[in-house]
Amino acid sequence: MSVATMIIIGLFAVAGVAFLVVEVLARRPGSTIPTFGDLTAAILRFEVSRIPVGRIGVYGFWWWVGWHFFAR
Amino acid sequence: MEQPRPVTVETGAGAPGWDRAQVMLPVFAVIALLGGLFPSFSLSANLLVVLVGGVMCWLGLAGRLGRRPAPTRLRRGALAWLVPVLTLALVELYTFSRKDPAHPTLSLLADPVLDGYLARAACYFVWLAGFWGLVRR
Repeated sequence: MSVATMIIIGLFAVAGVAFLVVEVLARRPGSTIPTFGDLTAAILRFEVSRIPVGRIGVYGFWWWVGWHFFAR
Repeated sequence: MEQPRPVTVETGAGAPGWDRAQVMLPVFAVIALLGGLFPSFSLSANLLVVLVGGVMCWLGLAGRLGRRPAPTRLRRGALAWLVPVLTLALVELYTFSRKDPAHPTLSLLADPVLDGYLARAACYFVWLAGFWGLVRR
């Protein structure tokens, strides 16, 4: 494994740890940071002219993730 | 002291009784064990993802299932989520633009893991459970 590959894996790990850290901070009492669930829920509820744009976008993204990893 | 929030406060008209975790998680386990058998690029793998994803999208957009409570407005602290999201997006964008195996994308790194049946089935289950969580939100 090259040094470049290890750096890239490290950066992905940093992103993963950052997700965990922000989630832990969000769950502290009195935190102004929404949890990831609340953030996602707010995005899901986003509508334009009663069209559920947020829901279509998030479902489409998650559908694509499954297709990309399990079918491609 | 912070009070625990109810699991569901909004229930769609005529919400079915089968949408409980005790019912859905075993169903997802069966689908994941089946999905883990299908190799990438196979017709069966494509059909299963398209079918399951299509049903999930339909359930979520139809809005007949109970949904968990959601905040009406996001607090300013939501900007903190930009740190992990942008980190992930920038690293992925950089590796994707390099098109070099020495700078692997997330999916290239996942390939050897998803080659094993158990890991593939476990990841399939996580994907399904995540989709269900989105449908119920």
